[in-house]
Amino acid sequence: MRTQVPLLEIKNLHVQFKVFEGVLKVLNGVNIVIREKEKVGLVGETGCGKTTTIKSVLRILPSPQAKITGGQIFYRGRDILTMQPREIPGLRRGELSAIFQDPLASLNPVFTVGQQLGDILKHSMKHQGVKGISKKEIRSKAADLLRETGMPDPERILKTYPVQLSGGMRQRVCISEALRATVKLLLADEPTTNLDVTIQDQILRRLDDLVEERGTSILLISHSLGIVRDLTERVYIMYAGTIVETTRTRRLFENPLHPYTKALLKTIPKLTGKGLSEGIRGRIPNYLNPPQGCRFHPRCDSAMNICRKENPPGFSAGNDHVAACWLFRG
Amino acid sequence: MPKNEIAASAFTAKRINISKGWYKFSRNPLSVLGLTVLIIIVLAAVLAPYITPYPEHAGPYTNFRESSLPPSLKHFFGTDTVGRDVFSRVIFGYRFSLLLAAVVITLSVPPGILLGLVAGYTRRKWLEVGIMRITDIFLAVPPLVLALAVTAMLSPKLLNQMMAISLMWWPWYCRLVYSVTSSLRHEYFVHDAELTGVGRGFILTRAILPNCVGPILTKITLDMGFVIILGASLSFIGLGVQPPKPGLGTMVADGAKRLPAEWWMAVFPALAIMLVILSFNLIGDGLRDMFAVEEI
Amino acid sequence: MTVMNEDILRVKGLVKHFFTRLGTVRAVDNVSFAIRRGETFGLVGESGSGKTTVAHTLVGIYKPTGGEAYFRDQSLGEDFSHRSKALKKNIRIVFQDPGSSLNPRWSIKQILELPLRIHRTSYGKNHVEAVSELLRMVELPPEEYLYKYPQAIGGGEKQMVAIARALATEPDFVALDEPTSALDVSIQAKIIKLLTRLQKKLDLTYLFITHDLSLMRNMANRVAIMYLGKIAEVAPTREFFQKPLHPYTNMLLSSIPVTSDEEEKLKPKQIRSTGEIPSPVNIPPGCSFHLRCPRCMDICSRLDPVMTEKEAGHWVRCHLYPAAGQ
Repeated sequence: MRTQVPLLEIKNLHVQFKVFEGVLKVLNGVNIVIREKEKVGLVGETGCGKTTTIKSVLRILPSPQAKITGGQIFYRGRDILTMQPREIPGLRRGELSAIFQDPLASLNPVFTVGQQLGDILKHSMKHQGVKGISKKEIRSKAADLLRETGMPDPERILKTYPVQLSGGMRQRVCISEALRATVKLLLADEPTTNLDVTIQDQILRRLDDLVEERGTSILLISHSLGIVRDLTERVYIMYAGTIVETTRTRRLFENPLHPYTKALLKTIPKLTGKGLSEGIRGRIPNYLNPPQGCRFHPRCDSAMNICRKENPPGFSAGNDHVAACWLFRG
Repeated sequence: MPKNEIAASAFTAKRINISKGWYKFSRNPLSVLGLTVLIIIVLAAVLAPYITPYPEHAGPYTNFRESSLPPSLKHFFGTDTVGRDVFSRVIFGYRFSLLLAAVVITLSVPPGILLGLVAGYTRRKWLEVGIMRITDIFLAVPPLVLALAVTAMLSPKLLNQMMAISLMWWPWYCRLVYSVTSSLRHEYFVHDAELTGVGRGFILTRAILPNCVGPILTKITLDMGFVIILGASLSFIGLGVQPPKPGLGTMVADGAKRLPAEWWMAVFPALAIMLVILSFNLIGDGLRDMFAVEEI
Repeated sequence: MTVMNEDILRVKGLVKHFFTRLGTVRAVDNVSFAIRRGETFGLVGESGSGKTTVAHTLVGIYKPTGGEAYFRDQSLGEDFSHRSKALKKNIRIVFQDPGSSLNPRWSIKQILELPLRIHRTSYGKNHVEAVSELLRMVELPPEEYLYKYPQAIGGGEKQMVAIARALATEPDFVALDEPTSALDVSIQAKIIKLLTRLQKKLDLTYLFITHDLSLMRNMANRVAIMYLGKIAEVAPTREFFQKPLHPYTNMLLSSIPVTSDEEEKLKPKQIRSTGEIPSPVNIPPGCSFHLRCPRCMDICSRLDPVMTEKEAGHWVRCHLYPAAGQ
């Protein structure tokens, strides 16, 4: 283990949503660490709290429904949750950036790609203390950014509006916005979920190269274990608002420990064609009344008495491998 | 499964939907405020003869000894130039405004919805284009101008004013329902109903219309305010409720001549108009939140 | 007694064009295939390939622009408004997006009653029991779901209701248009299992559409791959994945993320994904894939290749595999 201060450290994060039916206890003690230049994956099914986690980091949880009820999020040792509201936009324009599933929603439809990219570049340079850069320079920098994402004919793309581009092209624009020079940590929330596999493949390869080149850290959020396997070094598996397992990505696929991870891996259809498993019995718990103890126990085949009573802490299984499951109590 | 349990279950489902709707509406305190104010206004208007201090002042009444008195405990909003209690007249004025709004909406919404549904769903291009171009023609004429023309051509009274405004108002509903319908007609649930083999009438009224209710209701509440202001504008220029009946617009017009010294004659009726429009708008906001799909 | 190998659905030179302001969208351009009774015929392709339009045309949302399609001996040359009730009963569809496929203002009971009321009059007044039966068939407890509204249930459950609705008319043929693409893998597994079980039990024939090749491998008996409105390759599933011929099939296979080294070995190595699928308004001349094809030859930009049978049941449309005697 390296001793330096991690780039991002989420500690025991609890988030709740207030709705008509009551209080949804969504995040239930999430712990995530991202070190510098590290590529980390966060995997889980719909509704497990992946997006809530990333929104907490960016401080864009929907108000007034959502409330952070516990925990800290340290960015380079400073707690984001206690920062003044006016500091947040600076952070987001400077060292932290994000790409989302739907690129059209993150791009402004009434400005050209060039205008938007230029704006972001200007702000990000201001953040670095650079001033008085000519429009032409910004334009060529913007074109360079686009070219790096594998965009053909960037000069022309700069003059187009987002709606004129295909989904893949839009996501490339978002990636080039997100990967400007000052960025230290990229949060990518299902960046290729809406794209075709051939386009996804191209974009992820490009993204990987860029992240590698610049030494940016990335938190890749995905429901696809395949993508995470290709792109990350370390992975967190999330279930019902808790991190159930974390380890080096290679190791997770070779030796999954947590019963949920094992079941999840089995449900993925294989190219080798050995049929499908039955899926995981039961369904994601209702966040209004999540199960006592381990949130997975009602669906778990190896559930024991203690699982119904106490929430398991992370138990180390050596080699940076942690599983939050009573089976590994030492 | 026992029969009574099923019925209870269907009933519960409805009840939960209603209370959930109220939860979303009431999360915005301003909407609740708007609704409260509106309920008070409506009750006051309906019960005007019983609750106003001087109900007889709503008609041809004169008492020059008490003319042009400023607001006091005896006359909350003061009196007008012939000595009538402005407060009583404002409450009676609400009757005409609300009646106008209710009649206009009742007359203009159904044809608007019908034409919008047909234009949005039909596969015959000429029918769609035909309906929508006629709608556009009506929308191109400023409502005040057409209402002016109609009211002036016939005689200036409340009934004609209602007819004139209704004539102007249906195209907005046609447009609204058309846009919702033409996007819904490509939803899979509409395709599925078609492929199952149900008739067009069923698809329009049972599959599509219930999904238009949200936007229609929201628009109706907002429009109530607009219709009231249009009616007030018409009576302001003398084409609405005729004296001695108390139209809010007429009262503002008469009072305006006395500004600024005898300000209460114009200001209170004007505030009354503002209050009712504001409350309709606040309710509209609440309804919009209520029908919005929530994402967490 | 019907023969097992009977072709239940035959499609010959099917064409579906959409005429828009931007030009003619050639969504489906001369597609031919036949589906045997009781099998699952897979149609795979990226967005814009026309696979969904094929399904929508067969079930009757659109009238085909050209070509022929037959269900048994009934023509599918018209859209729903001109189709017989019997045809509507026998051909059903499960749509891709469970959110849009259920009317948000109808309870599940109302949703499932509709096909029953129209096609199964013999059930008479006792719809509640019939609807409950349908829900039990898709493994949803009726007492819990009957009066719920779609927004109150999860995506997987919505799709199960959609499956129940499709099967309510007791059809012979069901088009499954990406039934699980919006769902998580653990729910997908459940739905696929359910579909396979029901297929055996009710003797159903499926047209299964997906963009997910790994899923296709585990679901279909035969697979056809579409690119820009045309079929590029058809083969029995095992053959399709072990000996893919068309460069596009290879490109698609090389692009999918997998979760084990065993699968990694099955992915073609020598080919990498490049370019984007062109707009179907502006289809390149010759072979429509030639702009992205790593093995493009001179002839490819001039001449559109024709289907040839390389091995029994394995057809490919590519100049790399010329027909015998050419």
